[in-house]
Amino acid sequence: MNKKRTDFAQKLISAPYIVWSAIFIIVPLLMVAYYAFTDKSGAFTLDNISGLSRYAKTFGMSLLYAAEATVISLIIAYPLAYFMSNMKAGAQRMMSMLIMLPMWMNFLIRTYSWITILAKTGIINTLLSKIGIGPVQLINTPGAVVLGMVYNYLPYMVLPIYTVMVKIDKSLLEAADDLGSSPISRLRRVIFPMTVPGIISGITMVFVPSVSTFYISQKLGGGKTMLIGDVIEMQFQSSYNYNLGAAISLVLMVLILISLAVMNRFDDSEEGGILI
Amino acid sequence: MTNENIVELKNITVTFDGEKILDRINLAIKDKEFVTLLGPSGCGKTTTLRVIAGFVSPTEGDILFDGKAVNHLPPHKRQVNTIFQRYALFPHLNVFENIAFGLRVKKVPEAEIKKQVTDMLKLVNLSGYEKRNIAKLSGGQQQRVAIARAIINRPKVLLLDEPLAALDLKLRKDMQVELKNIQKSLGITFIFVTHDQEEALSMSDTVVVMNEGVIQQIGTPQDIYNEPKNAFVADFIGESNILDGVMKEDFLTSFSGREFTCLDSGFARNERVDIVVRPEDVDIVPEKDAMLLGEVTSVTFLGVHYEIIVDIGGFKWMIQTTDEQKVGDKVGLYIEPDAIHVMKKSKYSGMYGDYSTFSDEIEHLSDLEEDEN
Repeated sequence: MNKKRTDFAQKLISAPYIVWSAIFIIVPLLMVAYYAFTDKSGAFTLDNISGLSRYAKTFGMSLLYAAEATVISLIIAYPLAYFMSNMKAGAQRMMSMLIMLPMWMNFLIRTYSWITILAKTGIINTLLSKIGIGPVQLINTPGAVVLGMVYNYLPYMVLPIYTVMVKIDKSLLEAADDLGSSPISRLRRVIFPMTVPGIISGITMVFVPSVSTFYISQKLGGGKTMLIGDVIEMQFQSSYNYNLGAAISLVLMVLILISLAVMNRFDDSEEGGILI
Repeated sequence: MTNENIVELKNITVTFDGEKILDRINLAIKDKEFVTLLGPSGCGKTTTLRVIAGFVSPTEGDILFDGKAVNHLPPHKRQVNTIFQRYALFPHLNVFENIAFGLRVKKVPEAEIKKQVTDMLKLVNLSGYEKRNIAKLSGGQQQRVAIARAIINRPKVLLLDEPLAALDLKLRKDMQVELKNIQKSLGITFIFVTHDQEEALSMSDTVVVMNEGVIQQIGTPQDIYNEPKNAFVADFIGESNILDGVMKEDFLTSFSGREFTCLDSGFARNERVDIVVRPEDVDIVPEKDAMLLGEVTSVTFLGVHYEIIVDIGGFKWMIQTTDEQKVGDKVGLYIEPDAIHVMKKSKYSGMYGDYSTFSDEIEHLSDLEEDEN
């Protein structure tokens, strides 16, 4: 009796969320799938998908850039998270604030400001020309695009790793010391394996938005580096080819899912050697 | 030289944020000795252990291993291993890998690791548990893994930080025996921290009683129990009636309004002293043979004996007796000379040893509190 009633109450409470996810997650996904497999007249076709091979290079480039940005973010974020987790409580709060602070500003504006830093007449080149070097081509290069990704998504790498790291019981680190581990061996045998879940979510949260970004590549790549996100945006904004745009989005989603599935396998393995 | 001190603490003082945690600790520990640091929570016993392990650097003083100062040697280079209070087993490693950890760090060949870990598992009765997940083990099993993980490294000194506190009574008794056997068979020096006085008395060669960061007494369990140095030790170890008294002359003391012959000497004439009489050393006798007369105010049956509280001139004595008494009974007490222990006055005088506020409940509550710390 009572159990039935609580069951019903639970269903009632969860109903708004179910309706929400149905309307804003499931339905849009179905719409993407619908557009991807139909032509302009609404008839079923596989042409959108089969025609994607001409974008293979763009797909490849996008995955490569995103992977580069992810690796660089990890290399920067891991030591940062490590040092942060060893700071005093007050300093730790301060650091996480500082890391999140840029995120309070609009993403577009942050990316735009890099143009003024990297441009031919930008801050860096002005300084360089003062000491007789340059101007150096900084903006509109693949490097600038990766830089933009790292800059924008770095907090998403630092925070999950840091969160896992501060939760490691200090007595485990003492136990490792006690059993003869040098600081390096302790990092390798205890801290790193225990932070793998944080690394995995960090990688996910940097890789996924990086692979589908279009704004960063447009502003910092100057249209020279066309990423798959740009292609999708073009289909919706200028070519009005919703069907092709949906098809590319669908394939991109599948590629991301595959990448994540591969990565999550590392989570279960005993000692992770991800990416390194 | 088997008599040489393996660990020595010289004038160790530890200060945290201006607060003295340890105050001039001097301690010499012999090879193959079982030493227990005993005291209430916050007395500095765990800090002392952490100083030896290297996790805490003393503000002043020296730590010597085999006569050599190791103050600046980091924990991983010290020849000691620790069994942590909550075991601190690595959750990402299985039983085998936890135990193998120390050997892997030392890059011991794989075949040798396998052999040693297998032997170790046999020693702690965990054969067949190699692949088990740490989180799926019971408290007692985790305890055994922690022991195996430490002693596989053949440390000269094993530090144990309240290792049995989390186990239930029955298991704790079994582990006490097992630990003692392991210590004897491997010939390792054990430095054991506990707040459980029974555990300390039953397991140790030497007991170090600590309070407020100061060593109160060092001695064999018998010394500590029979010849406590001050009111704190007398009260902390077992039950004690501690009375204010005067040493009239050698072998003659006075308390509770009359004189008693005792076995103590070496005090000044008429020196004020603390008198300890253990509850089990007081005999209940007919009134005509009695040295002291009192009235029973409380009786508790504890199975082996009764614990009765007797009011003698306002001071409440605890007496353990096998004869049943009733509340309100007038009883006569008789105290043998060897049941009286005389102590110098200390800062703890008058703080302990009167059972006027005694209640089992309060005792029980304070035990729980200590367990949580």
